[in-house]
Amino acid sequence: MILLRLISWPYARKHVLRCLLTTAGIVLGVGVFVGMRTANKSVLAAFNQTIDRIAGAAQLQITAGDAGFDEDVLDKIRELPEVRAAAPVIEATVGTGQNNLLILGVDMLGDRSIRNYDLEGTDEAGIGIDDPLVFLAQPDSLMVTKKFADERGLAVNSKLPMRTMQGDQVFTVRGIMKPGGLASAFGGDLAIMDIYAAQKMFGRGRKFDRIDIALEEGTPLENATAKLQALLGSGFQVEPPSSRGQQFESTSRMYALASNITSVFALFIGMFIIYNTFAIAVTERRAEIGILRALGATRGQIRTLFLAESAIAGLAGTCVGVLFGIAMARAMSGYIGGMLTEIYGVAQSPGDLTLDPWLIGTAVAMGLVTSLVAAVIPARSASRVDPVKALQKGGFQSLSEGENRARRRWAIVFGTASVAAFAFNRLWIMTYVGYVLAILAAVLLSPALSFWLSRALRPLLAGLRPVEGALAADSLIQAPRRTSGTIAALMLSLALVISLGGLARSSYDSLAEWMRIALNPDFFVTTAETLSSRSFVFPASLGDGLRAIDGVAEVQPVRSVRVMVKNAPIMVIAIDVSKVAKRVHLPPVEGDSDAMYRLAAEEKGVVVSANFARLHDAHMGEVLEIPAPDGILRLPIVGVVDDFSDQQGTLLINRGLFIRYWHDDSVNVFRIYIAPGADAAQVRQRILQAFGGQQRLFVLTNREVRDFITRLTDQWFGLTNVQTAVAVLVAILGIVNALTVSITDRRRELGVLQAVGGLRNQIRHTIWMEAIAIGIIGVTLGLALGAVQLFYSIEIARRDLVGISIGYAYPFQTALILIPVILGSALLAALGPAESAVRGSLIEALEYE
Amino acid sequence: MSKFVSLVTLALAPALSALGQDPRQIILEVQKRQHSDSQRYEGTLEVTSQGNQVATKRWVYQRIGSFGNSKAILRFTAPAEVKGVGLLIVNHPDRASDQWMWRPAIGRDQRIALQDRSTRFFGTDFSFEDLEERDVDQYNYKLLADDGAMWKLESRPRKSSQYEYSYFWVKKDNYTFVKIEAYNKKGLVRTIDYKNYEQIKGIWTARLTEVYDVTRKSRTVLKYEKLEYNLPMKDDDFTLQALRRDL
Repeated sequence: MILLRLISWPYARKHVLRCLLTTAGIVLGVGVFVGMRTANKSVLAAFNQTIDRIAGAAQLQITAGDAGFDEDVLDKIRELPEVRAAAPVIEATVGTGQNNLLILGVDMLGDRSIRNYDLEGTDEAGIGIDDPLVFLAQPDSLMVTKKFADERGLAVNSKLPMRTMQGDQVFTVRGIMKPGGLASAFGGDLAIMDIYAAQKMFGRGRKFDRIDIALEEGTPLENATAKLQALLGSGFQVEPPSSRGQQFESTSRMYALASNITSVFALFIGMFIIYNTFAIAVTERRAEIGILRALGATRGQIRTLFLAESAIAGLAGTCVGVLFGIAMARAMSGYIGGMLTEIYGVAQSPGDLTLDPWLIGTAVAMGLVTSLVAAVIPARSASRVDPVKALQKGGFQSLSEGENRARRRWAIVFGTASVAAFAFNRLWIMTYVGYVLAILAAVLLSPALSFWLSRALRPLLAGLRPVEGALAADSLIQAPRRTSGTIAALMLSLALVISLGGLARSSYDSLAEWMRIALNPDFFVTTAETLSSRSFVFPASLGDGLRAIDGVAEVQPVRSVRVMVKNAPIMVIAIDVSKVAKRVHLPPVEGDSDAMYRLAAEEKGVVVSANFARLHDAHMGEVLEIPAPDGILRLPIVGVVDDFSDQQGTLLINRGLFIRYWHDDSVNVFRIYIAPGADAAQVRQRILQAFGGQQRLFVLTNREVRDFITRLTDQWFGLTNVQTAVAVLVAILGIVNALTVSITDRRRELGVLQAVGGLRNQIRHTIWMEAIAIGIIGVTLGLALGAVQLFYSIEIARRDLVGISIGYAYPFQTALILIPVILGSALLAALGPAESAVRGSLIEALEYE
Repeated sequence: MSKFVSLVTLALAPALSALGQDPRQIILEVQKRQHSDSQRYEGTLEVTSQGNQVATKRWVYQRIGSFGNSKAILRFTAPAEVKGVGLLIVNHPDRASDQWMWRPAIGRDQRIALQDRSTRFFGTDFSFEDLEERDVDQYNYKLLADDGAMWKLESRPRKSSQYEYSYFWVKKDNYTFVKIEAYNKKGLVRTIDYKNYEQIKGIWTARLTEVYDVTRKSRTVLKYEKLEYNLPMKDDDFTLQALRRDL
């Protein structure tokens, strides 16, 4: 404690900027970790909260995937003596110009047994709508939340236009729910309408999405679940409301895993910044350490001193990082919520942030451990400082040949082990082991590579500026310890940027190829502006109408629903396989192209997407059990194809099977091919004229659909912009840090240079060139390591994230952008330190040491 | 008394017993005096909320049969927003009635589930259960008081009901109901007062019923107009198909 006060505190006060830069690494690392996880958790919590609030008193929920089921199931359920109340529900999300609005269709007669509608301007029982009979009698009746009403200036009897399957309808607000409880579900963007009116408005026929159940008092949940399951059969899911949250969690698992990897990587980079700063601090303070040792301080005390300094810096950085993370989460949660809604078609609207004490605790622990680990080597070096040699300058900063050799040897061992691990990559853990070993090998090799690259750069720099260039290169060659941490951090940051950019490019390439093959119709007739929304469905009869339109050559109905297969919500896509196969030839990953389409068309098998097969360990010939309201549909896998329709995987079955097993002939999308020679714009116009006014209908062109999918992908990769920004920021911080230290460390050298007639500009140029040299080395190593990291990223994405094989495509464009960005940043980072170097007192500089 | 009121009455206080004379005989006497083969009236409903907002509606009520073997259709005629909304009640002597609602604007009927019978009947202070007939033997009852002009009785349902017990008052001179108090586990739920008695075709009939919902502090007044008994009616007019027909 005394040493901290007498030694560390004055040093910290003298180097405020450096301390801030050091802790900035931890701030960013912890911030990204807390920010991404909190944003993710908040979205998930908002979803769970919505489920919880909508569920009300429901103890169990009956579903059959998201396709819904026939109304008569309700009567069966109500027969059970264990069931106190059974309330049918339809959920739909509609755009209202601003936020999405979650519409809950409920049976207004009995739903209050499950849910409590606390309405504005009513009595204490809170069950008064302006007129309940009018609400029931008029299908345009709507109850909205106070928040929604206030935002749009609505009052009782106000009108709210919406586009429905009955065409453009004007709804009437007949009740306003007080804030809190049910009204706070979906961030308050919630409306209630009668379920039978909702069936019409959303084109659901005589189907319910689910039934919420409250049990008679004293009925054990397990008994009721078993009895209901036996009554309804295995095509139905009988689960507590919380299970829906688990399903969503599983759906968003991929996103959570990706953000975890980035967070850990950010901390790893932060660790190198701390390591670098402390390594430099040890170098700078070796005289101080020597004196302390001479005065009797033990090695243990010196080691403890540096570790304590690191812990304090780490703790400070962690605290600020947590706050930064919370601010980041606040900014990101809305974005993530919107993105997940668009991609998964699952409704959630994040409200308040969900701060998890465990997460904060973990972040603090990670920040501290990272700081301590980063300081272990510098602290050990400090404890080994020889008091006699302590006054000798410069020598300590050179890595001994022995030290270098040892690092190179370990790098080779790790590199070889990494390659060996890849040979055993059938075990998923080996991919991660190989990845970590490859990164470690690169980190260990970076000082040697920096040294070689510095030597290689020397003639070039000297050629540009004989004095300044040579001095700059020599500074790097003679004191690799000063810059090795910075270069390692820069290398890791840029490798992260390259791998993210490469992953994006590879994904876009693969996606473009899939879209070219699979999305080849001229038009897509949909119920929403987005293909992922499944709130509305068309009647099958619309297909006949579309076929009759002049200029339409072929109409292919598509129905897609999510059902639980292998304990995951999987997209079942029902198509007329024989028709689609004539137009779309997705190359099989497994199986024979002709045979798989033929068997699927004959309803003797299912074609699965490669990501489903990989993520859920499914194989050709395996019989899949697909739950449907009419029982379990058992189909063998007859083919595996690359299909990007859903991130959890897709199952392609014949439409006839779907109609039989789901009792549902409705359609999500009609794929339209126009006749040769027909004018596309005119055909589109004819479709809109014929059907646009009667119902909710959108005619999207092929280009619009592709753009929509590309936009979704952009949104997904948009998150990586944060990571890229963090990586570049870390790189800049590292360079500023290294140069600040370099100048402090070389004050005497620079002073001598000025004393013998060196011009200020020469000093400036020396430091600028040193910065650019660091940038060049970092960029070179980063782009090289990025190539390796991209390989592992694609492998992890294929294996554990999306399950889709995406080709390796190095992001040369990103690399080309990075070069000027990093070199420019390096130069900018050097401006301050260079000015500080030339404006310092010459006498003080010469007296240094 | 109108059939509608008798339905309400029977649901809340279906049976009388253990009087100085046999209370079952009293209730049978009530039933006997109110008996008719059919009934029709036009009702005006005024629902006054706690905040003194008044909503007025009109309906036409028709019933064929009597006491547990009856069918009734009730159809709203005003205001315009609710015109055509109907309710079909098929009473059974040995079990709860079947009830269906018809909403012309949506074009479909909906069965009213047993579990929903305790909910308010279309925003009035009646519940769906109040509209059905139950056999007198589905209740236990006892005499609580006799003030010379009226009997005060208690009835407790033997089968599932939203009510735990009810108190009701019967006038001794003409065997008509004066007042009912219905209780659930938490206490008093609603009260019903029968007023403006007149004899129509020899049947003592209340021309006004007032229901007070204690929890909501709201009041529903039902006035009976153009009330007629024993009109010729057909069974076919009391089916789901008939319910679906527009006015």
